[in-house]
Amino acid sequence: MSLRPGGIDGGMTKEIVERAASAVAGNDPAAWVDEHGDVLYRYALARVRKPDVAQDLVQETFLAAIRGHEKFAGQSSIRSWLCGILKHKLCDYYRKLGRETSFTDLEFLDDECAEKFVPEGYWVHMNGPKEWKPEADEVMHRDEFWQVMRDCLGKLPERIATVFMMREMDEIESKEICATLSISDSNLWVMLHRARMALRECLATNWFENPEVQH
Amino acid sequence: MSEWTPNPRPPDDTSVVQEHRNWFQLQIVLLICRFTPTCPEVIGILSLGMDKPLPLTTRVKLRIHYLMCSFCERYAKQLKYMREVAREFPEKIGEISDAKLPTEAKERLKEALRQ
Repeated sequence: MSLRPGGIDGGMTKEIVERAASAVAGNDPAAWVDEHGDVLYRYALARVRKPDVAQDLVQETFLAAIRGHEKFAGQSSIRSWLCGILKHKLCDYYRKLGRETSFTDLEFLDDECAEKFVPEGYWVHMNGPKEWKPEADEVMHRDEFWQVMRDCLGKLPERIATVFMMREMDEIESKEICATLSISDSNLWVMLHRARMALRECLATNWFENPEVQH
Repeated sequence: MSEWTPNPRPPDDTSVVQEHRNWFQLQIVLLICRFTPTCPEVIGILSLGMDKPLPLTTRVKLRIHYLMCSFCERYAKQLKYMREVAREFPEKIGEISDAKLPTEAKERLKEALRQ
């Protein structure tokens, strides 16, 4: 067994070396900033839209990471661990925001999209949803799709986008979102419903029914 | 009888209740309309269903509604589609965006981390 260099022993050594390397990187915060800073910043920016707030959130994330360094057991990659911390920081930020503002966006919520439905309450035949192709797992490999997705989320009023992203990206239960933002159940439902409607519409127009981006 | 009928199946759909309905099919559709929610109501219910389980009777009504309305059925599918892709967004945005943490912010950050 021991004569075969690429055998079980070889593999284990490689693993140990990798683990040691990540431990060294883990002890050097400056390396973290260079390696993960931009990625965290991009995500934060997509969520809060203000560069200075996004920078603060990234800083808080790194500081919390340093403090809780021992808690990182290495089951996940450093990046996804840092992303997890950032999500918590975002939640804290929203919690503050929820207290400071009334957290509704009436103009957007008032839009009844009358052109979609006939007065009797059914889809206008020409404007009903069309089939979405290709399937989700295929579309995820297209950079252009993610750009459209980002732009569509950017078009939603900020608070509407916030509840949508908390629910669909952070996978927070609706009860918890209500508590975090101090909003009522029905208020959350209206906002999520509108977000989904607007995002669906935007993705349909700019991606699924746009011949220029589809080949 | 009025000219307008609710939600014909699109041409590519070959189910029973389709675009050119005969008298009997139209009666079925009108009956479904009477006993299921309207489309704006349905999409509201569908959104609610993404966040909490719906009662059985509601789910049955949705199924019956889909018989005459493939638009709402598609809408339901697309809500799930959006959920599926949204979960990947945080990871992907780090790859496709070109926003960069400004250099001075990075330096400030490193400084803060050293203390």
